[in-house]
This record gives sequence, structure tokens and C-alpha cells, in this order.
Amino acid sequence: MPENNLLLFRVLKYYQWIYVWLVLLLALPVHAHPVADSVTTVHIKAIAGLQYNVVRFQVKPNARVKLILTNTDDMSHNLVITRPGARDAVVNAALKLGEQGLKLNFIPPSPQVLWSIPVLEPDETKSITFTTPKTTGVYPYVCTYPGHGVIMYGAMYVGEVALPLANDLNIPPARRTENIIAARGAANGNRHTAHPATTAKPAHPYELQAPFLYRVFMPDASPAAIAVSLPQELSYCWDAGTCRLRYAWQGGFLDNSDSWKGKGDSYGIIIGQVFYRDKTPYPLRLNQPENIPSVAFKGYQLRERYPEFKYNLNGITVYELIKPKADGAGLIRTFRIPDNSQKVWFVTDSVDGVQYEATAGKWIGGKLKLTARQARHFSITMTRKEGVKL
Amino acid sequence: MKSAWLLLSIFFSFWFMAADPVKPTPGVNAAPAYRVESIPMPDNLVSETGAIEFLPNGELVAGFSRGEIMIYNPQKKQWRVFAHGLHDPLGILVVSNSEILVMQRPELTRVKDTDGDGQADLYETLTDDFGISGNFHEFNYGPVKDKQGNLFIALNTGSPNGGVRPEVRGKLDSTTLGKYGRQMFSVVPYRGWVMQLTPTGKLLPYASGFRSPNGLVLDGENNLLVTDNQGDWVGTSPLYEVQAGKFYGHPAGLVWEQGSKKQNPFEIPVAELNKKRAQAAVLFPHNIIANSITQPVFDNTNGKFGPFGGQLLVGEMNQERIVRVMLERVNGTLQGACTPFLDGQGLRKGNNRLAFAPDGSLWVGQSDHGWAGDEGIQRIVFAGQLPLDILNMQLTPTGFALTFTQPIEVTAASKPENYKFKEYYYAYHAKYGSDQFNAQKVAVTDVQVSADRKKVFLTLAALKPGYVYELQLGNISGTDGNILKDKIICYTLNQLKN
Repeated sequence: MPENNLLLFRVLKYYQWIYVWLVLLLALPVHAHPVADSVTTVHIKAIAGLQYNVVRFQVKPNARVKLILTNTDDMSHNLVITRPGARDAVVNAALKLGEQGLKLNFIPPSPQVLWSIPVLEPDETKSITFTTPKTTGVYPYVCTYPGHGVIMYGAMYVGEVALPLANDLNIPPARRTENIIAARGAANGNRHTAHPATTAKPAHPYELQAPFLYRVFMPDASPAAIAVSLPQELSYCWDAGTCRLRYAWQGGFLDNSDSWKGKGDSYGIIIGQVFYRDKTPYPLRLNQPENIPSVAFKGYQLRERYPEFKYNLNGITVYELIKPKADGAGLIRTFRIPDNSQKVWFVTDSVDGVQYEATAGKWIGGKLKLTARQARHFSITMTRKEGVKL
Repeated sequence: MKSAWLLLSIFFSFWFMAADPVKPTPGVNAAPAYRVESIPMPDNLVSETGAIEFLPNGELVAGFSRGEIMIYNPQKKQWRVFAHGLHDPLGILVVSNSEILVMQRPELTRVKDTDGDGQADLYETLTDDFGISGNFHEFNYGPVKDKQGNLFIALNTGSPNGGVRPEVRGKLDSTTLGKYGRQMFSVVPYRGWVMQLTPTGKLLPYASGFRSPNGLVLDGENNLLVTDNQGDWVGTSPLYEVQAGKFYGHPAGLVWEQGSKKQNPFEIPVAELNKKRAQAAVLFPHNIIANSITQPVFDNTNGKFGPFGGQLLVGEMNQERIVRVMLERVNGTLQGACTPFLDGQGLRKGNNRLAFAPDGSLWVGQSDHGWAGDEGIQRIVFAGQLPLDILNMQLTPTGFALTFTQPIEVTAASKPENYKFKEYYYAYHAKYGSDQFNAQKVAVTDVQVSADRKKVFLTLAALKPGYVYELQLGNISGTDGNILKDKIICYTLNQLKN
């Protein structure tokens, strides 16, 4: 499947890209490196989310600078360098161009505009070379395409040392502080090490106490995943696309800051250690242990805030409620199949990270066999094995 | 004596204009027709608004990008949580004070408070019978409900700026992906389609050819109207009248067309696609009227929201405006005009969702989730002062008839030079957006003002179907001295009138 590989590569590339710009932001000036002909080259990309990948760079006064702009977004963008403090004025002047705007590349004829790169279509690259002013200062650059200028900008520091990122009012607010963590509650704000959070603002107008859930893109699941935070630092990913528990972890919950940014593909990032991963084609079987049922997701009802999932297996309604084991060492899954009239099998895999106990039925080589009557209501306890790498 | 005062007032209003040309210029009746109020938002809410609707009890229910469904009591000015944990809710249909339908990424969900504690506890899947590849751009819109009880939802195509997950929901078909460059794609069913959920719960493909259809509405006669967003194959943002089985222009979703011979939609000759596609009822000229059009709502307030009853108001993301749409049916085809509404009156950008409150005020939910925009919710109240504006623009056999909300001053209104027409069309092509083609001025050969001074009949040198007629008005004022502020209006001419 070469195409699939290509796609995976794209997703990875996106992640790499996030880290690349984080590094860029933290270690300035990375992009402004003088070369042999004494022209400093600065390469800026217009990226998804109405942003430039580089939001600030530093150059010397009276220096030759080559600025290259590549548009990697799916919308059109330009780049206009203005006199200090003139960013808003230039953005507003561009808006007032009205019908003339497109013809002028949304670059207003104004003495406040120092240099500019015209509107680039997606995938286009253009550059300009100029001599920086003799006067040190902060020279804004901005995309004056209508609607973009309010958030798509950056700053060229001529001779001046840039402020710490968090205090730099010359760059977009979203780029000053980093991530907001979807933690279990304000008390223990779990932080993902890849994201050096400077501020951990509450993520919602209410405080979340486990159990609670997010429907969110999760790794190793279909795109219709549900991430559930339980007491005892336990969490699990239940997949509404395939109607089953995919994996469980312990330690923290989820970092949603990438997924909440809006543009680009991203996943919730698991905080903690995965201790269970379903490795069967499908765990529940009706009548014969080799019959893989067809599934349909029907939703969930909150029972004392725990979701009880409802789904159909070959048209038969199944309810599944997952709670933490009292000692925190695993999960208890309670199944109800009220209208059941067949034998039911619960199939496990020996390398899935847990050991099993059941309230009913008979284990036959890693498969639990339940009579039709037993299957109407049964629980399975999954206790984590120590030292299993999943 | 009276007229002397009037002249003096006009003089002063011009003096005022000269002193501060940036401010909107009030005429004699300085009181604005509309007032824009900002709704206080709860602390720690990222107010990227994905949905707003009103409950039967008059409270506002709103969905936000981090999965919150919040309820606002306009009397108490208080917010409370109704539900949380949803995945990018972008549409709400109210069932009752305790029950709503929410369109989220993975499904259409019934969200209901069954135990009366004010918070939802039941999340019941109404349909998830469509694909998701995990691409960030696969937004879902709607639902709207027709008179027969069918629900309509719309499924966004995927973006080449993102990928496809190793595991998808639904059948994966990569035909429209990869080598077709930067075009939006449809790799799982029925991305790029409007879908119909029947009262028996079956989800059926309804119409194809959508790129980013962020707005659905039903008119009083059960006709479904859907907006789309400028981009590849969409020269400028359109409003469509959507009918079963028709194709609306973006080829990606054709990969799921029933019974079609297996042809890559991106390899179908453009001329063939063009023949197949249905025309937009209204085109919103890019940068002139709108850049990114959102939800349409009909003004059914019986005058509580001012003189534009029955017209369509559409949100716009990139500019601080709402767009007002005047529709008419010519030879059975829907077409009409669009004009800015509320420019420079305190409205923010990012106008993603619109809903009329029971008191006739228009509430606007804003978002900047990855795009140009703003955050929060604003409320627009008709203050009772009739604005001078174009009430309607209608096609005549020889040109256009403009109706104004108030009598206009005849001298200026009779001058052809006060009506500058331009005609152009937008190309249908894979390229992102379109320039204006064959753009040229169209002479106004005759102007007639009606006896009641509310109507102007304009005769044009020529009229061509398939063109947008952009009209820039000059300094038209009311007989009471009010000045026309929204001076640009664009009519999409599909059908000529005989």
C-alpha cells in the first residue's frame, strides 16, 4: 500500500513540523544566518492556521537580507514589512482597498510599507532582497490578505534583542505561550514533557472530576474514539468506530492541546503508561467462538458519570460499563446483553498485558464461554501484569 | 423655515463628515437602526462557537470547539453547562428544553437530560453511517429538519494540508488523493455530500459536489439551501438550492456516486463536469461581499428585526459583517442579490453561526478555529429606527428594479452615473478560487423613479445569463436626509426575465 505509507508520512511530517517550529521559537535566531556573500537569508513559510512558521527573527542594521516566502497553506497569503508600529494601520489600509485589493495584492500604496512579497498561491515561493534600516527597532511583517492580518504576523528585530517569547507583544498571542493541558483537574496538572508549558490555564469553564470523557482523535484507534478518564489515575480508549475497548493506561490522562489548535491533523497525546491493548480481531463472539460479529454503535448513557456504552452485535444490543478496580490495578468491565438467547464467548490474547477473572462462565484456553443466561449480565476484571511492554 | 433647518442639518452632517471621515456618517436621523451587543462569556471558555440555537424557554444553547454545550439565560445573564466531551460540535437542532441533536465529528447525536438535573446524561447515536478518515478538515454540518421529518447534514471533504489516518471509519478509497495535488478529497463515504436521514433512521446520499458546505437552511417551502466555501473548483463562495441527486461542482465526492462507471472524478473532463453541475443561486463575490461564507438564516421575525423580513442573512468569517441575500425565482430558478449588512457597527469577524431569539434579535456565534475570525457571541437588536437601505433588487426584462426601505431624494436617484454596473463571471476549474473573467462596465441607459420614490427602474445596455452584476451606487439619500451606506450589491443572473 504505497499510498498509505505516503499518508502516514504526511501525518508524521506534520508532527515533525510542530516540533520544528517549537525549536525555532525557543532558539532564536536560528533562521537568520549570515552566508558567505554577506546576505542574510531568512526563509519563512505561510502555514495552516493563518500563521507564518517564523514569528520573529533578528538581523543587523544596514545589512543585506534575502527574505524567502513559501506558501504551504491552502489559502493565498502575502507578506508586508512595515515601519515600526504601523502593522495595524497597514492592515486596515489594505482592507479599504476594496475592489482594487486583488489587483494590488492587498498591498496598500503607503509610505508605511517598506517591502513586500505579493500574494502567493498555495505552493508558490517568492523572495525579496533588501537592506535593513539603519535605525534599530521592531519592524512588523504581516499578511494583509483580507481577514488574515489580525493574527498572521511576526516581527523583524533590527539590531534589538528579542524579549522572552512569552512577553513578546510583537508576535501573535497564540505563539507566546504554549500549551493548555487537559488534565484531571486543577490540582494535578499533568504536563506532557514535549510541551514546555509556560502557563496551564484551565481548559474549560468548569472543573472536570473523573470519571469524564472526551470524544477526540486518539492514536491506535479509529477516528471515532472516546477517551475516558477514571479515578485511580486510570484511563481508557473506547472506539465507537469498532465498538470495543482498544487500550487502557495509567499515570495521567490526555494532552489535547494539539487537537484543540484547529488546523492540521493531530491526536490527543496519552500521558502515562499503556498497560492493556486489545489484540483480538474482536473480543465478543456470539454462538461460535470464531464468529466475528458485525457491530453498530448506539451511544452511551452516563451512570454516576461513568459512560455505559450501547452497541449492537449482529443486531443484538450490548451494554458495557467500565469502572476502575478498587485497588487501581486494572479495570472491571460489566456487560449486559438483556435480550440474549445465544452462547457468548469473550476472547482474550495472552500478550495483551492483563490477566482475567470473570463473574460467570468457564475459561477454555483464554476464551470465556458463557451460557445465554450467564451472558445477560457478567463482569470481567482485567488486572495489569507488571513489566509488560505494549 | 423647516427646510432651512433641514439644509442646515445637512450642512452640519457634511461638516461632520469632513471632520472625521472614518466614522460612519449619520444623516439627520443619527440613531442607528441596529445595535450590536457582546454577550459576556464564561471564564476559561475558549469561545470558538460551533453552534447556537434557542430553546423553547428562550434560553440560548451553544456548542464550542472543545466539546462544551453551554446554556445561557439572557435574563439572568448566566451560563451553565449542559453537556461536555463532544468532538467539535458544529450544529445543534433543538428538540425540547432538555433535548437537542448535535452534529459532531463522529456522528449525529441525541443529547438529552433524562433525570432532570439540568445536565445531559444520554448521548444516543442517531447516525454514524458515514466515513471519517481522521483528516482535520472533515467537518460535519447541520442538521436541519424538513416538513416530512427528514434531517439533512453535510459532510466536508478532506484537505491536502492534512493526511488520512492509518485506520479510518468507512470504506477507504484513495482515488481522489495524492497525485491530484492540492485539491480537497473524498476518501471515505460520502465526503463532499449532503445527506438525508429519513424519519426511519436511514442515512441516504442526497446531493454531491460540495467542498466545505458550512451552512444549511430550509426555506418556508421546504427547499434546502446550502452555502459552500471558495477554493478549488469553487471560484467564489456560493449559495445553492440543493435538490436530490444533483451535483454542485466539486468532483471529489463523485467517487461515491451510485452506479457510475468507475472513473476518477478528477479525470473527468471539466466540460463534462461543468455540464453536469447545478448553478449557484447566489454567488458572493470574493473580497467584495464575502471571503468565507457560513450559516444562512431566514428573518422570520415578522418585523421585529426590521424591514428585511423573509430575507436570508448569512454569516461571514473574514469581515466584520453579515451578508444579506434577496432571492427571487425566475423561470423556476432561484437567483438573487447579496449586499453587506451591519458594516462598521461593532460586529466582530468570525460570524460562524446565526440564530434568531424569540424577541427577534439576531445572535451571532463567532469562531476563529484555525481560520480568520473572532471568538464569542454577539446579539444584534433592531433599535426601531428604519435604516435607509436597499430593500430588494429584482430582475426586470431590461435591467433591474431597486426597492429602497424609504423614499429617496429624486435628483440624485435619477442620475445614471449614480449606478455603476460591472458584469463578470467566475471560472469553474480545479485551481483555488477564480479571477473575475470578462469583467466590463455595463451602461445604464435609463433610470425611472417610482411615484412613491421608493423604487428605481434601471435599464441596462445588455444582460447576460451566467454573469454577476455588481452595482456600485453613488450618493443616494433619503428624502429625510439619511444617507445610503451599503452601496454595493451583487446580483447573480442565471435566468433572464421575459
